Formats: sequence, C-alpha cells, structure tokens
Amino acid sequence: MMAKRVSGGISLWLAIVLVPSVCFGQQPPLNLESLEEQAFKEASAVVAPSVVRIQTVGGLDRVGRVLTGTAATTGVVVSADGYVISSAFNFASRPASVLVTLADGRRFPAKIIANDRARMLTLLKIEAVGLSVPKVAPRDGFRVGQWAIAMGRTYESPLPNLSVGIISALDRIWGRALQTDAKISPANYGGPLVDIRGQVIGVLVPLSQRQAGKTAGVEWYDSGIGFAIPMADILSTLPRLKTGTDLLPGLMGITLKAGNVYASAAIIDRVRFNSPAEKAGLQPGDVITTLDEQPIRRLVQVRNALGNKYAGDTISVVVRRGEKSVEQKIQLIGKLEPYTPTFLGILPARQKRGEAATGVVVRGILPESPAAAAMIRPGDKVVQLDETPVTDSAGLFDAISRKRVGADVTVHLERGGVRETVSAKLAVVPNQVPAVLESQIIAAPEPKPPDLPATGRFNKDLAGHDNNYWGYVPENYNPAHGYGLVVWIHPGSDTMEADMFDLWKPICERRGLILVGPRAKEIAGWNLNEAGFIEALVKEVQQKYNIDDQRIVLHGYSDGCRFAYHLAFKYRSLFRGVAASSEPLKVTPPENRPDLRLQFFLSCGDKDNLYRRVQQTRNRLAGMKFPVTFSTLAGAGHEYPTIPVLDAIGRWIDMLDRI
Amino acid sequence: MTNRILTSSFCLLWICLWGSSIAQAQSIQATIRRVQQRTVKVFGAGGIRRLHAYSTGFVVSRQGHVATIWSHVLDTEELTVVLADGRKVRAKVLGAEPQLDLAVLELLEKDLELPAWDLEAEVTDAGPGTRVLGFSNMFRVATGDEMVSVLHGVVAAKAPLTTRRGAFESSYEGTAFIVDAVTNNPGAGGGVLTTRAGRLLGMIGKELRNAESNTWVNYAVPISELKQPIRQIIAGKYRARQRDPDETNVVARFRPLEFGIVLVPDVLFRTPAFIDAVQRGSAAARAGLQPDDLILFINGDLVQSCRVFKQSLGRIDSGGVLKLTVRRGDKLLPVELPVPDKPDEPDTPDKPEKPATAGDTK
Repeated sequence: MMAKRVSGGISLWLAIVLVPSVCFGQQPPLNLESLEEQAFKEASAVVAPSVVRIQTVGGLDRVGRVLTGTAATTGVVVSADGYVISSAFNFASRPASVLVTLADGRRFPAKIIANDRARMLTLLKIEAVGLSVPKVAPRDGFRVGQWAIAMGRTYESPLPNLSVGIISALDRIWGRALQTDAKISPANYGGPLVDIRGQVIGVLVPLSQRQAGKTAGVEWYDSGIGFAIPMADILSTLPRLKTGTDLLPGLMGITLKAGNVYASAAIIDRVRFNSPAEKAGLQPGDVITTLDEQPIRRLVQVRNALGNKYAGDTISVVVRRGEKSVEQKIQLIGKLEPYTPTFLGILPARQKRGEAATGVVVRGILPESPAAAAMIRPGDKVVQLDETPVTDSAGLFDAISRKRVGADVTVHLERGGVRETVSAKLAVVPNQVPAVLESQIIAAPEPKPPDLPATGRFNKDLAGHDNNYWGYVPENYNPAHGYGLVVWIHPGSDTMEADMFDLWKPICERRGLILVGPRAKEIAGWNLNEAGFIEALVKEVQQKYNIDDQRIVLHGYSDGCRFAYHLAFKYRSLFRGVAASSEPLKVTPPENRPDLRLQFFLSCGDKDNLYRRVQQTRNRLAGMKFPVTFSTLAGAGHEYPTIPVLDAIGRWIDMLDRI
Repeated sequence: MTNRILTSSFCLLWICLWGSSIAQAQSIQATIRRVQQRTVKVFGAGGIRRLHAYSTGFVVSRQGHVATIWSHVLDTEELTVVLADGRKVRAKVLGAEPQLDLAVLELLEKDLELPAWDLEAEVTDAGPGTRVLGFSNMFRVATGDEMVSVLHGVVAAKAPLTTRRGAFESSYEGTAFIVDAVTNNPGAGGGVLTTRAGRLLGMIGKELRNAESNTWVNYAVPISELKQPIRQIIAGKYRARQRDPDETNVVARFRPLEFGIVLVPDVLFRTPAFIDAVQRGSAAARAGLQPDDLILFINGDLVQSCRVFKQSLGRIDSGGVLKLTVRRGDKLLPVELPVPDKPDEPDTPDKPEKPATAGDTK
C-alpha cells in the first residue's frame, strides 16, 4: 500500500517532466512548487525528533590525510531505549568522549557499542528511554528520481539542516548503498535521508567504490554524489550490532583469475589456506556459476553478490569443475589467516635482455635453505616443479607461491646436461641477510651502444609534473642487464643529496642499482598527493633504463618513511620492497599477497626514542607474514644508517628476487 | 574546485530543465529575469596570485547605487560595473561596513534609471527547506554583456556562522542563510539569494571554510541585517561599527588554578580536559569536582580540549557564576562555581593559538 502511493507520486512527477507542452501556459490547479516545498518541510519535521546532534571530545586531529572536524555531527535514533546509529566517519578521530543531544535539548554521554565495517556505521547507546523512532521507508519502494531529503543537526539552530535532492541510483558500492544528489557532507554524515512522506530511506555515510576506510569518499562532499545505507538493511543487522561485536565484510578466501571484469568468467585462481573456501573444497580452476542464488557470468558479479555479506553469513556457491557442477554452503569469515610466503632458497640467474628462457638457472643458494638441504647447486637449471613446467623465474616463483610452507616438492633439474630430480621441503622466507652475497657481475657494454641513456649523477624535470628529481646511474651501465631501482624518499626539510650520493654510489655500482631522488614540492615534507609524481617517475625510469621489476624499492629515513610506506601500499604492483630507517609505521598495511610480494628492511638506532616503536612495526609486519629484516644500529640515536647497514640493505635488495 | 564547477553546471542544467518543464515555467522565468535585471557584475583589482578580479553586486537605488561584498576587488581606482543590459559604467566605493562584509558603490553616470530592489517591500525571511535561487557572477562565466548565472537549492539552515571562536575565518558573525547549493564560488560574493517567487533573502558571502568540519560553507548574509547600513551609507550618514578588540589582545582573565582545578598535561592537539587534581579548600573542591572528571561544557559551550577550556575560561566575565558540566563515569554532572570579582588589569596577555587549517588548495 505504502509502496504503491510512493510510486504514484513518482509517475505524477514524471508526467509533469515529460509533457511540458500540455501544461505549459495553463494555470495549474495547485501550485506544485510551493506544495513540494511544504512537503520537504513537513517530512523533515516528522523525522526531526529522531535526529540527534553528536559532539565528540578529544581524539586525533588527522586521520590519514583528512583533517577530521571537531564540529557537531548527526545520528538517528533506531530504538526507543537509547540506540543511535551514525556514520563511522564521525568517530574516525577516536574521540575520548561522545555526547548526544536529543532534539528536545536533553544531553547524554554515549557509549560506542559496535561498528559495521562494511557499511561504515557506528552504533551508539545512551541511557534514555522513550525516544522517538522514525518510520522506515520500505526498501522495495525506492525509485530512482524520487525526492530525497538529507538531514543533519550540525548547526546551532533548533531546526535540523536540510538538503533536497533525488535518489540518483540504487544498489551502489556493491549493493550496500543508494546514491543521492542531495548535498552530503560532514554537515549531515550520520543523519537520515528521508522521503517526502517523512520516512527514513537510509543513513548518510561517505563511501567510495575504490577505497575502504572511515574517511574514504569524503572528497566527494557536496558534489552531488552522496550515499545512504538503506535503513531497512541497518535494522536487519541491528540485533547483531547491539551485542557489541563489530560487523566485518564477509570473506571466502579465494582470488579470481584476472580478466575483463565485464566479460570473463569467474575462475578461481587461488584458494587461501585454512579459509572457508578451502574447507568447503573449492579448488583453483573451479568456475563460479552461482553465488547466493544469483547466477554469475562475469567477474564483477562476484563482488556485487558478496558486497552485502558479513562475516558469519552463510552463502551457497555453485562451481563448475570440469563436467561436474558442485554446490557448497560456505560460512564467511571476517579475517583470513595471512598468506605466508614460501621459500626454496635459490637466487635465480638474471636473464640478459633478449635471452630465451628454457628454465631457471641457479645463480646462488642461500645458506640453510631447503635448496641447500636438497643439494641444489649453482649452475643447476630448474625446469619443473612437481607437475608444473618452469621456463623462467616468474613461473618458478608463481609455482612456489601456490604451495604451503612445509610442503614437499619435487624439483626437476638439468645438471651438466643430465636431468635429475631432488626433493625439498619448502620453508618460510628467512629474515636474515647473509653476511656475504655474491652479486651478478655486470660488465660495461662492449662496444658502447650509440643510444646509451645518461649515466652518472644527473638532475631532471619530469614532464607534466611540478616536482623534479636527481639520480645516479653507474657509469658502466649496460642496457643488456636488468638493474635494481632505489627510490630515495627524503625526510622533511632535507633532501640529503650529497650524503646519499656519496654513500650509495659504491653500493649502486656493486649491486647493479640505479638511484633516483625525487624532491618534494615543499621542502618541508611530502604531501600524499605527490604520490602520482613518484609513480610517473618510476615509469619514466623504467622506460629509459632496463629495470628489473623484482627489485624496485623505496628507501626512506625518518619522516620520509611515512610517504615511502604510503607509496608501497598504494602501488603494490610497482614496489617490491621498503627499506625504512628510524621511523615506525603509522598506517595499517594491506594484506600480504602471494602474487604481489613486498619485503621490508627496517633499521633504527637503539638510543633512538622511536626504537621500541620501530621494533613494534617489525612485529606487526612479521605478524602479517611479510618478510621483515631488522637491523639495530648499536649506540646510535635518531640518525641515518651507517655504511655496514647500508651494505646490508644493498645485499637485501640483491636478493629480493630470491625464490 | 573542479567538483564545485561541476556541481554548479549541474545545477544550471537543472534550472533549464525546470524552467522549460514545470507548470510555473512562466513565473519562474519571470522571477529569474526580474532578479537578473537587478544584478550587476563588478570588476576591479586582483588577477594576480589566484585572486579573482571580479565579484557581483545588486542595485539598491534607481539613481545607481549598488550593494556588493567588501573585498580586495574594490581596492582600486579603476572600478567598473557591467549592468544587466550590458552597459559598462565606472563606479566608486561610497561606503563600507567591513564587519558585515558590505560595501555600497556609486555608479559614476547620471540618469541611469535602473531597475532596483525595494529593500522595504521586497525582503523576506526563510527557514530550512525553502527553495531558493542564487544569482552571481561566479567564475566569470557570464562574459561580455551576458547576465549572471542562476543556481537553485534549498535553505539548509538559518544559523549563526560562528559556533565558537575560530570556527570560521569570516568577518560576519551573525545569523546567516546556509544553502545546499554551491553558491559561494570565486566572484559570487555580492550576488543575491532569493525565494523562487523573487523575494530578496540575502547577499551571497565569501568563499568560506568551516574550520570545525573542514568543509566549504555556502552562505548568504540576510538582507534584513544589511538594509539599514545600505540606506545610511547612501544617505551619507553611516558610521562604521566599532570592532571588538582584536582577539590577540584579549587577556586571559581567569586560569583553571584560580578555581582550584589542575588539568592533565596538555600534550596533544586535542587533549580532553580531564581534571588531574583539585586543590583542597578551593571553589572546585567545594563544588564537588574530583580528579578524573572530564570537563565537557563551560557556560553551555562544548569544551573539546584543555586548550579550548583555558581559552574559554580566559574570556568569562568577572563576578557571577561559572557553570561547568563534567562527565564522571557514565553520568553528566552540572556544577556551579562562584567567579571572583576581578579588576580588568591584565597580568599577561594570552595569545590563543589559531586552530590548524587544512592546507588544501582550491
């Protein structure tokens, strides 16, 4: 009945838009405009008693790069006994105290009960009863084009603030939210989106289809792109939130084969160990055909089907395996066991440009590794791992990364022209850097090619960017060989160029590295939106020089590391390592991924005030199963590493491509 | 910035759709036409370092007086005004009220016989939800003799711009119309906000950032606040208001210790105002304050940090009652402390730190 009346209203509205010629010039029986305006005001007045003002005390002033406000924000009463729902954005600064002011002016301290980390909502509780609970608009009545009134209670005014728009789209952000063109901003995050009849459609939150996090989507404030989580969905998860447990996005533990998201079938590429998917028997190569009763034909549909699922939800999955169709029930979880990288212990010989690969020639064996135990020797050529033929080091790495730590593998070798097999038990990637590591010798090109790019120390601008950079390329640069790339992220106020050049020149020459030193636009320090410049710089260097993409590392010191970490996490497919000195990690690292490996080398003086926190960073990264090497500078305070540590970083870079 | 332009153009598009489609097409178009005829484009100083050299004004007398926003644009001898009919006329500043961001220009041509607003009969008031139109020379989109741009939206709120000191870097501190359309763009200042029936509501203000929520605020100063000074400036009888003494000269009249309150060490930008200790026999002790109480309100204003508490305490009047609300456990407790009489002899000036503003560019 209710839904019918809503849609009736919309068809009237459409008719008016579509047939102007009929209406034009005629005196309308009613002044539609003023009636609508009246309706906006009445609808907001109906909901106003349920819209509360939220103030926070204490907390951070900056979350990521967004300066969080201390302004009042908004919440909506969801049950008469004191539960209030709001946007998680309003609590991103982790305030010490939260206050709720009801529409009638009564003020209460509030407790944060739980967060919905998929829909970015926070449930609060105040000790009050008899609160006004708003009417909820039925979910099946939503229509694109219907009026939508966004409400907040952020100004010092007895009336809530309003913005009027329409519903722009349904089922956005993988089915979690609807979109509106009303102006959504910190002035109404946490407030209700109301229909013209005074029923709550949803709760306003910043969201982004590209990023997750409490402040993602804020950059779209007031742009005409705003999001609301349907109230009907919130009410269905309310009992779970009330128990005080955070709701997490549900995970199955699979990755899909990359492809055209609009066309490719959803083929399982990897199944995470110990994940719900593995326990349900899903296998790499299975094609997902149905998820939660919805047919899946394209990659993108998988994300849509899972977007609305929480940890603890059970979904049905149908996969095609060869000729068979297999159906499974899978209970999703919130946190997967981290992926632990596996390790054989060989250093692959690096191929020269243009060389055909018929296997992986062993350049060196790391001590005490499975390869050493299996008596694999330098000069051996690995051609097969278990059933998987291997032609190059990328292929061998991929094959190893699909095995579990502790797995027994059969390595097929060519040794002196004879094919042999050895057995090895895979281990975890060691965190030690050997004291001695032979580098692969690179000779100067003979004869010198005419189009050899610049070598030695240089200063350059980057087309299309305001920043510039300096760099060093070994004089005997030979384009036939792949070089490692060290991107030096200087600390604030000091580019340290002269010192860096002196210290790193010998390491670059010994280890076959190119060093580039981008300069921050403001000498005071890096702004996170300069990330695009660094990415462009790396691509530029990759174009000009022969860069081994397994050995591109970021190196930072002191507060420069913050930007280095940011870059490493933002451009996972570009950077393979971070060498960070004297600075702890302050942001949450992404998950360790088998396909995009990332390794860390941390160092800090034991007299540095930050020493303990850098150690905690090591523990945190190690807990997430990233390979982390840690080096203590005995007796040193907050200072740049000494030559022995830099030599160790050089060796570490030289074995980033270890398998 | 791109976002703002985009939004604006969407709104413009909207207006076109509306204008041509709804039943009141004629009246809306008549309204827009009528307001546009009373709105002018102002060109003056600027053009360097990203300062725009243009703004908007509205005609307030048939003899050629234009009310506009007080800004750097007026800081020149070469001030010109382009009228709605495309004529370009030289102008000079007749008078200004910087506290209201208001200036009145006199057009330097006689017998213009302009269509002008009647500030007595045509001004009205509005609350949240009222549909409004904004008219301005924003981004100088209207070139040559083109008329100003029109946006639509609703009044989001009618509220004071300053909820606490330092929230806005605005000279205007009174109640303003806050709108949900992106009206406050470069060059839009001095434009008008009207109802859809064409009644005058406010003068569009500057581009203003709300330092509390770190967002841009779109607001207009109510004409009801402006009409008196406008009339007086035209009559040559206006005397600018006295400014409050500058904030930096304000002395801290009271300190927490004078009430027996010892706050926790202020180590963070936003250290919550927890009480560390209460001095024996002090006013705070008599009022029952205890260590670990969190001070949340001072005389009704939210206290977000030790810093804010000290600043607010520095400003209270001597004599009378200091009302605090503290949070103890899960309860809010109101307490009252007597404020001693104190002569206005400053001991040391208290320089309030400016809150950090985001460094983003527009």
